[in-house]
Amino acid sequence: MTASTPEPLLALSEVNTFYGQAQVHFDLSITVARGHIVCLLGGNASGKSTTMKIILGLVKPRSGDVTFDGASLIGLTTPQIVRHGIASVPEARRLFADMSVRENILMGAFVRNDRQAIAQDLDKMLTLFPKLGQRLSQRAGSLSGGEQQMVAMARALMSRPRMIVMDEPTMGLSPLYVDRVLELIRTINQEGVSVFMVEQNASLALEIAHEAYVLQTGKIVLSGSARTLKDDPRIRDAYLGGAEAA
Amino acid sequence: MSSWLDYTINGLIVGNVYALVAVGLALIFGVSRLINFAQGSIYLVGAYIGWVAVVQLHTPLPLTIIVVAVAAAIVGLIIERFGLRPLQNSVRIAPLLATIGISFVLDQLVMLTFSPNPRALPSQLPDVRFQVGGGTIGPLDLLIAGVGLTSALLLFVFLRYSKLGWAVRATAQDRDAAMQMGVDVNRVNQAVFGIAAALGGVSGMLVGMYYNQIDTAMSLQATLKGVVAEVVGGAGNVPGAVIGSLLLGLVESYGVAVFGTSYRNLFAFLLLVVVLVLRPNGLFASARQAPPEPLTGTFIAPSRPVRIPRWALLAAAVIFAILPLFPVSFYVLQTLINAWLLGMLALSLTLVAGTIGQVSLGHAALLAIGAYTSALLSLTLNVPVGLAIIGGGLMSAALGTLLISPSFRLRGHYVSIATLAIGEIVSLVILNWESVTRGPIGISGIPPLSLFGTDLISPTSIYWFSLAVMVVLALLQGRLLTSHLGRSFRAIRDDDIAARAYGLSLNRYKSLAFIFGGFAAGVSGGIAAHLYSYINHETFNTQQSILALTVVILGGLGNVVGAMLGAVALVGLPEVFRIAAEYRILIYGIVLLLLVRFRPQGLLGTI
Repeated sequence: MTASTPEPLLALSEVNTFYGQAQVHFDLSITVARGHIVCLLGGNASGKSTTMKIILGLVKPRSGDVTFDGASLIGLTTPQIVRHGIASVPEARRLFADMSVRENILMGAFVRNDRQAIAQDLDKMLTLFPKLGQRLSQRAGSLSGGEQQMVAMARALMSRPRMIVMDEPTMGLSPLYVDRVLELIRTINQEGVSVFMVEQNASLALEIAHEAYVLQTGKIVLSGSARTLKDDPRIRDAYLGGAEAA
Repeated sequence: MSSWLDYTINGLIVGNVYALVAVGLALIFGVSRLINFAQGSIYLVGAYIGWVAVVQLHTPLPLTIIVVAVAAAIVGLIIERFGLRPLQNSVRIAPLLATIGISFVLDQLVMLTFSPNPRALPSQLPDVRFQVGGGTIGPLDLLIAGVGLTSALLLFVFLRYSKLGWAVRATAQDRDAAMQMGVDVNRVNQAVFGIAAALGGVSGMLVGMYYNQIDTAMSLQATLKGVVAEVVGGAGNVPGAVIGSLLLGLVESYGVAVFGTSYRNLFAFLLLVVVLVLRPNGLFASARQAPPEPLTGTFIAPSRPVRIPRWALLAAAVIFAILPLFPVSFYVLQTLINAWLLGMLALSLTLVAGTIGQVSLGHAALLAIGAYTSALLSLTLNVPVGLAIIGGGLMSAALGTLLISPSFRLRGHYVSIATLAIGEIVSLVILNWESVTRGPIGISGIPPLSLFGTDLISPTSIYWFSLAVMVVLALLQGRLLTSHLGRSFRAIRDDDIAARAYGLSLNRYKSLAFIFGGFAAGVSGGIAAHLYSYINHETFNTQQSILALTVVILGGLGNVVGAMLGAVALVGLPEVFRIAAEYRILIYGIVLLLLVRFRPQGLLGTI
């Protein structure tokens, strides 16, 4: 880290994770600076999604530490972590399919109790995602993939998080929606929310990210500012799972 | 003769009572994908708390309802906290088995506290009936309808407008996503168990008042009816559970009107089997819905089985074989004969539940088929007893497989429900098919065991005979498991979709497993019939099915040696410690709970 980067909001330090006998992460260290978009790149089975689960407390690391705003998240339950100010847009969106769009968005504010501000935030979401206005009373499961992604992002924002973690936000979306989603991530970030996103699509992710890490079979093989990584020839080899890292 | 309107009113009232049980089951299933077999026990507890309140404390009716609801809710919370929460990360079969264990423990505790004798539970309401159209309706009917409607309304408001209600619905749809919204799923679990228990308890009290009688047999019946209603409405679907309950109440009531009281339950279980086979997701499920049970792979605890050297098995066989040559008491031999009979049943169940993964809760039905066939063959057709027993085994194999075959496409919990229902159906057919089975009177004067014309009457000869039969069955089964057939069975258990992709026909292999298992269980039942000389439709009941399951889990699912070891342990140890009979079921329940919690793979490990 150079001196110019702001202090880290989220830091994973030397995390080792196991599924039974199999090791998923090897001394994984990642930092997300306050106000930045950080992207974790990697191919299938590189341990990307598990990294997200570690941050959210859905999977416990065997060793290492995860801190958010200076406080350790280790040992906290997922709901407690959410209350610390981390919201998530899960892989494949994971909406509550039989609840209405309105109910889904409001579920995002589950940890809040300020009714009036919640109502205001709902209105704000409808200006940010204007398409959802006509869909509010529709079953969330009946929306298209792109619309569902919008609901998932609105839902995450409703908790007024300091950080959002996103698992493959562009997966399975039409090119039109991919651009829209990336644009929205940038907008969200400009409003002060830090973003940590896991992506397979490196070139897209690097366009909006400040920093990026490349994960390969559980190890960070490359990291740096998005601008430098974009021109790095190794990045293609690495995230496509080319040469085995040492 | 009552009018049709009366039967309709009765059906709807009984349906209301079922709904109170079924809605709780649906809430719990929705949130944790668990069929709570302890629901009936809470209903039982509710009925007895109501009795204490009304008869001993003389509480007025509104207060009684509140007392019962609160007390039952506390029981529900205790079950959730200490019985189920520790199992959150274990295999999926664990909580199911735990609720069965809990229901054994609760039922026995109630029985030990209040004695098994029925008690009257007066409703305190005036005994008048009003004319409505061509039928009549009483204050109690109105009370039950009122409680049903009020509960439904409260539940609707709770789920739709309260924060916790939203959390319940979100958790039911996607547990992980709900957690990521900050929902504490433990609190959601607590909430649904508390609500389910309160409704179940009140339901038990109302039924007690409706029939002005409560007894400990209510528990299992309530669980079964609740499960039927819930599955008919679609597992996890709360409004579906209400409609399923009313439908069940009406079907039963009309069935009784046409055929008589003893047919009531038969209609309930036939309805269940028909729905399971034709619409396993319930009558109201949308076609979009994915099958509610994922792969069976994680259903059973994987483990490395304990290897027992051949010489040790041989030595054990020799020791048990020469045991009667030593001066052992008649009592010891009698106990071991029971263990061998249970061992045969356990061999059958360990194959069906363990090796091919179809956790059967109605295995006693196979005993009953074998027992009735063998008894009737020898009594009415004078078939030699040895042959009659083999006939019993064959009939169990054929009929058992035939009955279960429509359910072959079901998985996981649904197999257990289907087998439970089929077990009940067999027992009810035996009760009602008087021309063949002699109905409720049962069959007496069954000839004693005999082999090649020699009667086996001495305990020693019966002992040897049953031990030999069990050992032969065990050897055959051991051989079967090491063959390619055994591998195919296990492949189907671990991942039936993958197994099918490799060209295994599920129906054929499931049939083979049930044929072999049916034969072993039928032979066990046949021997039992000749040993007891009297059998009726209740000789082989659900309690025995559950006991067999406990034995099999104790030994290790799929484990042949484990099944026999489990039988000896579960039959023998209570005898060794001279535990009084009424405490035994309690012990079995506790053993099951401890096993599920601390050693789900059983003593010798699953294979």
